[in-house]
Amino acid sequence: MKATRVYQLTALALVVVSAVQVGWWIFDQHNYTAEKVRAAQSAYAQQTGAAQALLDSGTPAQRVQQLLPDIVVSGRRAALRPALEQTLLTEERRRDNQYAWEGAFFLLALASCIAVIARALRAEQRVHQQQDSFLQLVSHQFKTPLASLQLSLETLALRAPPPPAARTLIERMLADVARMEQMVTQILESARLEGGRVDFKSEPLQLAAAVARVVSPIEERARQERVSISSDIAPGLYVISDPLAIDVVVRNVLENALAALRPAGGGRIELCARALSGEVELAVRDTGIGFAAADAARLFEKFTRLSDGANRYGTGLGLFIVRRLMELARGRVSAHSEGPGQGARFVLTWPAAKPEAQP
Amino acid sequence: MNSARPAAVLVVEDDPHLAAGVAENLRAEGYPVATCGDGEQALAWLGGHACALIVLDVMLPGMDGFAVCHALRSQGNNTPVLFLTARGDPADRVRGLEAGGDDYLAKPFHLQEFLLRVRAILRRWDWYRNASATAATAVLRFGGNEVDFRAFRARAWNGEAQELTEKEAMILKVLAEHAGEIVSREDLLERVWGYDVFPSTRTVDNFILRLRKRFEQDPANPRHFLTVWGVGYRFLSEGAP
Repeated sequence: MKATRVYQLTALALVVVSAVQVGWWIFDQHNYTAEKVRAAQSAYAQQTGAAQALLDSGTPAQRVQQLLPDIVVSGRRAALRPALEQTLLTEERRRDNQYAWEGAFFLLALASCIAVIARALRAEQRVHQQQDSFLQLVSHQFKTPLASLQLSLETLALRAPPPPAARTLIERMLADVARMEQMVTQILESARLEGGRVDFKSEPLQLAAAVARVVSPIEERARQERVSISSDIAPGLYVISDPLAIDVVVRNVLENALAALRPAGGGRIELCARALSGEVELAVRDTGIGFAAADAARLFEKFTRLSDGANRYGTGLGLFIVRRLMELARGRVSAHSEGPGQGARFVLTWPAAKPEAQP
Repeated sequence: MNSARPAAVLVVEDDPHLAAGVAENLRAEGYPVATCGDGEQALAWLGGHACALIVLDVMLPGMDGFAVCHALRSQGNNTPVLFLTARGDPADRVRGLEAGGDDYLAKPFHLQEFLLRVRAILRRWDWYRNASATAATAVLRFGGNEVDFRAFRARAWNGEAQELTEKEAMILKVLAEHAGEIVSREDLLERVWGYDVFPSTRTVDNFILRLRKRFEQDPANPRHFLTVWGVGYRFLSEGAP
């Protein structure tokens, strides 16, 4: 990693020096040509002067013409052949043009090299930073439930609490273990999605059935948390996606909604779907704590935990996974809220399955 | 605990399980406990309540633990702070102590060690408070300087008003209690920090330099805070001849 960086920086330095050299070369050639032209001009001026002197001293015009072929004599006046002056200037322009074109080409080539190397360097730095913050966040996310687990165990060992208190501690520990297990699953899942190592199927799926498969195991828990889940999805709506992916997506969005309802002490989750032109849209609305409109896009980034976020137990990966899976399904996901305390609406959009493709 | 009323502890931790576990254990030890889920809430609570110790998580939603501690210290609140954090590297440790923390514990931590540290911090502060309780011990006068240990304020020999940090005040207290005697760097660390919080005794030297700058007429040629080479320091209230 380090060696690559040294190579890149060396290449960058060489290319920059080359660019400066090309610039200098253009400048130098231009000066050299101008100097040559000036020298030729002064030589011609000397010839003209000499011819004039010969004429003035009585040398016949014909003789002068013979001696100095570049000079024309009209009357008793010597002058340079007009075409010569013109040729000189044309040559100067031609050379300047040539340098400008060649130089510009080389500079352009070098500039694109610089841009490519600089881009690679920047990208590498970004990856480094992301990895650093990823590791930092992952270790933090793990250490908290681990600390809680250790604390509960040591409390049990130190205080030998009566059964009801011990029961609370054991439940807390089970929840901590479940939390860590969920984290491991989600981290692996998101790493798999990031690495692009996914075998993503695209097949027509009945949306209502897919949603029902996710909702029914959650319903019991939702009842305990005083959350009612209602869904209104026409059986004729079919989407194109991977059957497992649609499961994960709907589950993550529902878990997110449940977490948003927890601080509110319960509420409602409503799922409704409709067909748009060539697409099917599923809206999941909750009456939970909501979020500031400015945070809508940030929700789908890795490890986002809003300052007043409800999901203290989350990994910050759930909605990131949702977004990646929706992208793979050539669909979209967006989050909407009127503000904190106003509830939230998550909209999932898939490409619709053509009627003849439906099983 | 030798004070009649047990010392209250504020636990600032955003993870509900951890907060509950810490609070239950502190209660089992006899400390009254209050809990807050974030920094803003903690600062608001401290605006209306006093406590003997704050157990402060570093990674809090919104304002982080370091910022909370900074805010407290700049308000002149000297309540001791024990940082809890998932990041235990030395740089973070130093940051926490620079922010005005008294001790630093990395998650996951051992319950017994946590309780020991809580006890140690409270004991040090009990000592400091008891040692500054009477009118005679609350104020120290030397070389034209006047230090008020209870208010953490001082007036230097040149009339300049000084705000002392709690560590500066504690070090001065230890030195003044042993005026004329040699106090080793290790003793100072033990009395003021109590734990292997800092990597070296060099920290003590830095604090002595700060005290000299505040109270010596010529910090380069100290008359009150004398270095005893290879051992530690000696405080002279009269001033060296």
